[in-house]
Amino acid sequence: MNIPESIRKHLTSHQIEALKPAWVELTSGSEHIKSMGGAWQVYFKGKPQPDQRISDICELLQGMLPIVEDFELPHMQLNNDAYTDILAFKDEQSDWLLFFDVTDKVLQLQKYQQVANELNLLKDQMSRTLGRYVGQEVSQRALDGKLSFKVEGERKEITTLFVDIRGFTPFNESHDAQEVMNTLNQYMNGMLKPILAFDGMIDKIMGDGAMAVFGVLPSDISSVDNAFHAALDIQRQTKATNILRKEAGQPILGVGVGIATGDAVLGILGSHERRAFTAIGKHVNLAARLESNARAGEILMDSKTLSALSDKPQCHKVSIELKGIGKTEVFAILPS
Amino acid sequence: MIQKKICILGAAGVGKTSLTAQFVYSKFSEKYLSSMGVKIDKKVVDVDGTQVNLMIWDIHGEEKYKKIPTSYLRGSSGILMVIDGTRSSTLQTAEEIVERVTAELGSIPLLYLLNKSDLEDAWSISEPDIQKLKDTGNPVYLTSAKTGDNVELSFASIAKAMLNG
Ligand SMILES: Nc1nc2c(ncn2[C@@H]2O[C@H](COP(=O)(O)OP(=O)(O)OP(=O)(O)O)[C@@H](O)[C@H]2O)c(=O)[nH]1
Ligand SMILES: [Mg+2]
Repeated sequence: MNIPESIRKHLTSHQIEALKPAWVELTSGSEHIKSMGGAWQVYFKGKPQPDQRISDICELLQGMLPIVEDFELPHMQLNNDAYTDILAFKDEQSDWLLFFDVTDKVLQLQKYQQVANELNLLKDQMSRTLGRYVGQEVSQRALDGKLSFKVEGERKEITTLFVDIRGFTPFNESHDAQEVMNTLNQYMNGMLKPILAFDGMIDKIMGDGAMAVFGVLPSDISSVDNAFHAALDIQRQTKATNILRKEAGQPILGVGVGIATGDAVLGILGSHERRAFTAIGKHVNLAARLESNARAGEILMDSKTLSALSDKPQCHKVSIELKGIGKTEVFAILPS
Repeated sequence: MIQKKICILGAAGVGKTSLTAQFVYSKFSEKYLSSMGVKIDKKVVDVDGTQVNLMIWDIHGEEKYKKIPTSYLRGSSGILMVIDGTRSSTLQTAEEIVERVTAELGSIPLLYLLNKSDLEDAWSISEPDIQKLKDTGNPVYLTSAKTGDNVELSFASIAKAMLNG
């Protein structure tokens, strides 16, 4: 580049001054100081003396010398708010260490780094929260944009499961808020984990219960079998929770489960910012009604679910009046 | 006095600076300030009667587009590999770093710290994952820079491993 000499001089002196360079010349292949120069006060407490070992003055270099091959230590925070780049290199006569100040640049970069890191933390946090509801795999797929439904809806046969804690409202009213929260968490865990384990997708969490759909997420097992096994597992987990709570002298609760199978339209409802997956179908209401009729520890299912199960369980046929649906034949299981 | 260099490595935000601050100054802050480059702290520990001056290199978080320069690792006698127990993505980052560290330094004492153990509700690392770390033959500790749980112990244990190694 053809730069007039006075410009070149001006630029270099300006740049060099800003870098506040200091250098140490070392005897080739050793740590011993030959000579030094520049703004050493910026980087060292005392003035390095010839024949001293540099790593005695600059401890961070311990174990790095003599220089075998050129290296660079960027952004060393030597004292609280200053950053230094250290370059180590060799020429024919000597080994060299070059120190220069990069504080302004690093403080600028720090601002960007901060934003980027906080975003990453937030993303991980979102993935975890979402993972709680739909399972880790689905949440990752959703965040990667790989899980999608047609906005206009997709028709499919699915199995829907409702689960709810019996007698939670009176418990809630008669206990301390923190205790209620802990109790709810404990029982919820026993409901949500089985659903996720059997490839169910949690559609909604409602106060002290949840709605889940089976047959939306891919699975090797039929949606009906998955839903039923999730229900059995929920009852098992609740029992286990109750044993622990009894031992701890805490009040115990039970859960009721309702399962129904049928056609549903799956789709995404809502505006752009708040979109939610939804399943709409007659059997969804049926499953909800069954759940509200189930007693603590009981699983109620419709005839369609029972007949599609690959292993028919022991159950009682009962005929009950369901609100908004009428008299219906349902099947009750009280797992032992 | 014997002097030993330790590098604290891991993904951004796992708690490297917090663990160092807890160990050296018995301090903890909820506020997050992303580290740039390297900050060095020192503390003398006693290993079975021998005084060891630990030179602790708190290095910036490893990221996809900002890898840890291997030049920082030279002269290091031990590694504290930090994982955020509430973010499973940081486990993967740790595995990648360990691979590079081993290529650069060979096999040196290394401890896995599963940090933020106080955040039980957000815990995201499963037992099998922990077992996999243990299977590498390196010790695994659950730490909390917030409560100080296992922090002293982790540094003492790496110091001991470095001295005997
Ligand atoms: N609850 C809890 N929070 C922690 C713990 N350790 C660190 N944190 C928090 O996590 C955030 C990040 O901590 P840092 O120590 O700055 O993480 P770092 O690994 O040094 O991050 P970088 O320097 O960006 O790589 C801060 O908000 C800390 O308060 C812990 O053990 N428990
Ligand atoms: Mg840090």
